[in-house]
Amino acid sequence: MGIWIYVSLAFAAGLLVGLSRQINGRLSLSTSPLESSFWNHAVGFAVLCVIALSIGWSHPQDGLSDIPLSAYAGGAVGVVFIASSSWLIARIGAAQTAVLVIAGQMVSSVILDIAMGTAGVAWARTLGVALILAGIFYGRRSRD
Amino acid sequence: MTQYTTQKTHFVLIAFLTGGLLTIMTLFNGQVALGGGAIFSSWVAHGVGTVAAIIALIVLFRRRPKGGARSPAPLWAYLGGISGALTVILTSTTVNTPLALSGTIALGLAGQMVFGLGADVLGLFGLPKRRLARRELFSFAMICAGSLIIIYLGRV
Repeated sequence: MGIWIYVSLAFAAGLLVGLSRQINGRLSLSTSPLESSFWNHAVGFAVLCVIALSIGWSHPQDGLSDIPLSAYAGGAVGVVFIASSSWLIARIGAAQTAVLVIAGQMVSSVILDIAMGTAGVAWARTLGVALILAGIFYGRRSRD
Repeated sequence: MTQYTTQKTHFVLIAFLTGGLLTIMTLFNGQVALGGGAIFSSWVAHGVGTVAAIIALIVLFRRRPKGGARSPAPLWAYLGGISGALTVILTSTTVNTPLALSGTIALGLAGQMVFGLGADVLGLFGLPKRRLARRELFSFAMICAGSLIIIYLGRV
C-alpha cells in the first residue's frame, strides 16, 4: 500500500511540471517568454519562502560552505530554460515540447555521464540514445 | 512543405537543446542540494533566477516588441511558479523512498506525457487544441522507451 502513495506523488510531480509549463506558456502569449520566466521564478521564490519558513530547511546548514560558487548559476540557467519552454509550447504544443525536452535531457545526461567518467552500461546507453534519436527522426518525416 | 519542414526542424533542435539546459541546471542545483538540501537548493535557484530575469529584462528592454493588440493575461497565468515550487517538494520526498531517483524520474516523465497529451487534446489553459497524428504518438513511444532504457538499464 505504502509504495502507491509515493508512486502517486512522483507521478503528480510530472503532472505539475506539465501544468506550470502550460500556464507559463499562456502568460508568454500575453507578455513574452522572458517575462513569463520572471513571474515563474518570482512567484516560485515567494512560495518557497513560505514553505521554508513553515517547515524549516530539510537539511543541516553546515554543508553550505562545501557548495562551489559556480553551482549558484543553476538559477540563471533556469531562466533560459523556462523562457525557452514557454516559447516552444506555444509553437509545437505541450506533448511535443515535453517529449523533445525529455529527449534532450536524456541524451545530454548520457554525454555528461560519459564525459565525467560516471560508470554505466554501454549497450543500454547506446540503445537508449539510438531509440530516442530514431523516435525524433521518425516523428520528423513529412506527413501526408 | 519544404519551408514547413525547415521551420519544424529548428523547433526540434531548440527543444532538444532546452533539454540539455535542464541537464546543466540539474547538475548545478544538485550540487547546491548536496550542501543545503533540496528545498534550499530550489529556493536559491528561484531567487537567483528572479534576479537574473530582472537583469535580462532590463538589458533586452529596448529590443522588446511593441505588442499593441495583445490580450491581457488572466491572473492565474501569473501563478505557474506555484506548481513549479511544489514539484521540488514532491520529488525531494520520493527520491528518498524505494522509488529512488530512477523511479522518480520515470514516473515524472509519465506524468509530463499524460499532462502534455491531455493538454493538447483538450486545449487546456488557453493554449490551442492539437490533434496528434499516429506517427507523432509512435515517435513519443520510441523516445519514452529509449528514456526508460537509459534510466533503468543504463546505470550501474
